[in-house]
Amino acid sequence: MVTATAQTLQLEQHENGYFCSRFHAMASPCELLIETADEQLARHLGRLARDEALRIEHKFSRYRKDNIIYQINHSHGKAVAVEDETAGLLDYAKFCYELSEGMFDITSGVLGKAWRFDGRTAVPDEATIRQLLNYVGWDKLRWIHPHLTLREGMQIDLGGIGKEYAVDRVADLMQQQTDCSVLINFGGDLVCTKARQSGQGWQVGIEQPVYDQTGQQPAANTLIEITQGGLATSGDARRHINRDGKRYGHILNPKSGWPVSDAPCSVTVAAASCTEAGILATLAMLRGEEAEAFLDAQAVPYWVVR
Amino acid sequence: MQLKKPKPIRRLLTAATSTLLASTAQQVVAVEKTPWQVDSAFLYYSEKDRVTVYEPVVAVRKETGDDEFIGVRLVLDSMTGASPNGAIPTDSPQTFTAPSGASSYSIPAGETPLDTSFHDTRAAISAEWEVPLDERLKAVFGGNFSKEYDYTSLGLDATFSWDLNQRNTTLTTGLSVSQDQINPVGGVPTGLTSVPTVVGVQKSTQGGDESKDIMGLLLGVTQVVGPKTLLQFNYTFADEQGYLTDPYKLLSVLDNSGQLRASDPYVYEKRPDSRQRQALYAKGMHQFGDDVLHASYRYYWDDWGVTSHTYDLRYRYELAGGRHYLQPHLRYYLQDKADFYHYSLDDNNIPAYASADYRLGDMSTTTIGLKYGLVLGESHEFGARLESMQQKAEGDAPFEDNTAVIFQLNYSFLF
Repeated sequence: MVTATAQTLQLEQHENGYFCSRFHAMASPCELLIETADEQLARHLGRLARDEALRIEHKFSRYRKDNIIYQINHSHGKAVAVEDETAGLLDYAKFCYELSEGMFDITSGVLGKAWRFDGRTAVPDEATIRQLLNYVGWDKLRWIHPHLTLREGMQIDLGGIGKEYAVDRVADLMQQQTDCSVLINFGGDLVCTKARQSGQGWQVGIEQPVYDQTGQQPAANTLIEITQGGLATSGDARRHINRDGKRYGHILNPKSGWPVSDAPCSVTVAAASCTEAGILATLAMLRGEEAEAFLDAQAVPYWVVR
Repeated sequence: MQLKKPKPIRRLLTAATSTLLASTAQQVVAVEKTPWQVDSAFLYYSEKDRVTVYEPVVAVRKETGDDEFIGVRLVLDSMTGASPNGAIPTDSPQTFTAPSGASSYSIPAGETPLDTSFHDTRAAISAEWEVPLDERLKAVFGGNFSKEYDYTSLGLDATFSWDLNQRNTTLTTGLSVSQDQINPVGGVPTGLTSVPTVVGVQKSTQGGDESKDIMGLLLGVTQVVGPKTLLQFNYTFADEQGYLTDPYKLLSVLDNSGQLRASDPYVYEKRPDSRQRQALYAKGMHQFGDDVLHASYRYYWDDWGVTSHTYDLRYRYELAGGRHYLQPHLRYYLQDKADFYHYSLDDNNIPAYASADYRLGDMSTTTIGLKYGLVLGESHEFGARLESMQQKAEGDAPFEDNTAVIFQLNYSFLF
């Protein structure tokens, strides 16, 4: 009841023929740009989007105790039966694990116990990491639809795909409800459902914290025009660790337990859906210095900040 | 050094992503459907040696549009048992005529006189329509009707809630009106006239039926204090006009020696025909982890001289990740009597208004209870509540203490 009351939905009309609806979900500011003059429709779409975002957050957040993720992460080695939506995401996670040859792994979250990316130089010792690696690896769990069995001590975290998935889900809902062009932007991960009536897309300033040589002065954000499809960004220049004069980003290699070296500060990818763009951006980050080469091979538009 | 040339994976990824997004599309549509929410409950209330109430309730609610709801609620009350008639216990047996005047009942010496003819069934229906008037303004319009053998009530209400301050503050105002009609068995007795003690003797009446009009006002503010804390303050005012007396309640009249007077030992009670009631209410809710504490206090006063304090505390313990919960409940109610409350009357000094109804006397009630809830999936919830209530005389009026047991089962589901 407390949280329900606090879920604000803001709506404002802009001069160039669209409504902007804002709310907060998934620890991010969420925004919808809806090309319509119909306030009722805009409000309706805003509510649907908010409810769907909160539904997904509620269902897949690893910070709640009343959802399937909590059940799975506290199953003590017993099999947990999951319903279709969770099963779909697990299938997808398995696919991404195989596609990335083990680099994308939803079980790697336990490594976070060793690594704190707060900018200080605290580096865990190798023994701690080796110990934690016993609980990391998709190959160590059993996924036989619809039963998931984790070893005691293992955990899964769908945070790596949850927000992008929510953006696509909301986009799908919007398309079922309206023919208007809608831009769905959840903290920089976004989808545009179709071109605007003018044929133009939406101007999006992607937040790319670009730092100069001293690492202090953020430069201007990049403006992108998006007409249709998804855009997602991986990486955060403010979360890093320094060791032996080397700078490690916060993306961890689930095989070694160490941060990926020479990873870009951030990678932004445009693709057919936000989920796909997000996976490509994450896989590029995991490639470290080969990020650009990887993205070139995929023939997708991308923006890398190093 | 480049170990190997990156493989193009995009076609595979696009296909897998499409599968993911398509496979759940239907489910999302299902979430959008607005089912009927059904809340059903069965309440059992039983006072020791006195009244027993069985009360089934069914309420349905459905979203009919964007944040727009309709709801209907049906309640059936079935009361049986005995209720104090207002007379005091005496050293010798007492005989009373039933309200109809056609029969009588006797009470042994030393026992509180209870009217055993007390039984009734009440049916009530209420409906409400909740509709957003503006992005931040919500209205609820309601109507209710209830009927029992000798009583009919019809009411209308409207409540408006206005969200401010990024929905962290909600102002609420409500208005209600109702009209009640009473047709007591055997007519409306004239207040403070003698109660017939012999079957067949007519009581003095002031007509066959009476009515009362009630107007109510509510002003409230709800404030989100933090992500886990909510505070609520209400002020309520009600104005009642008309027949506010209980036509079945009487008082014992004592002579100089403190004994029931020889002739006409009982008179019908009589209350003023207007009453202004006011109350201030404060409630706080705080979340501790998954648990929630509810604490409230209410101060009530009216122009009959009744004042009361109510303290209420509930704590919801979440068990097994929110699939079960236990909620202990503690409530204490302390009341100061109405100006015209009398345990019994003095033969030489009959006031203009008088009632011996213990509900208007100095008294307290203490309630201790426990509720268990079981969440069965997303759309079914079961609950059971057991409470014990102790009622005590607090002033110098020695009316008998009373205990009651309350048991409730409820089941909610979507369909």
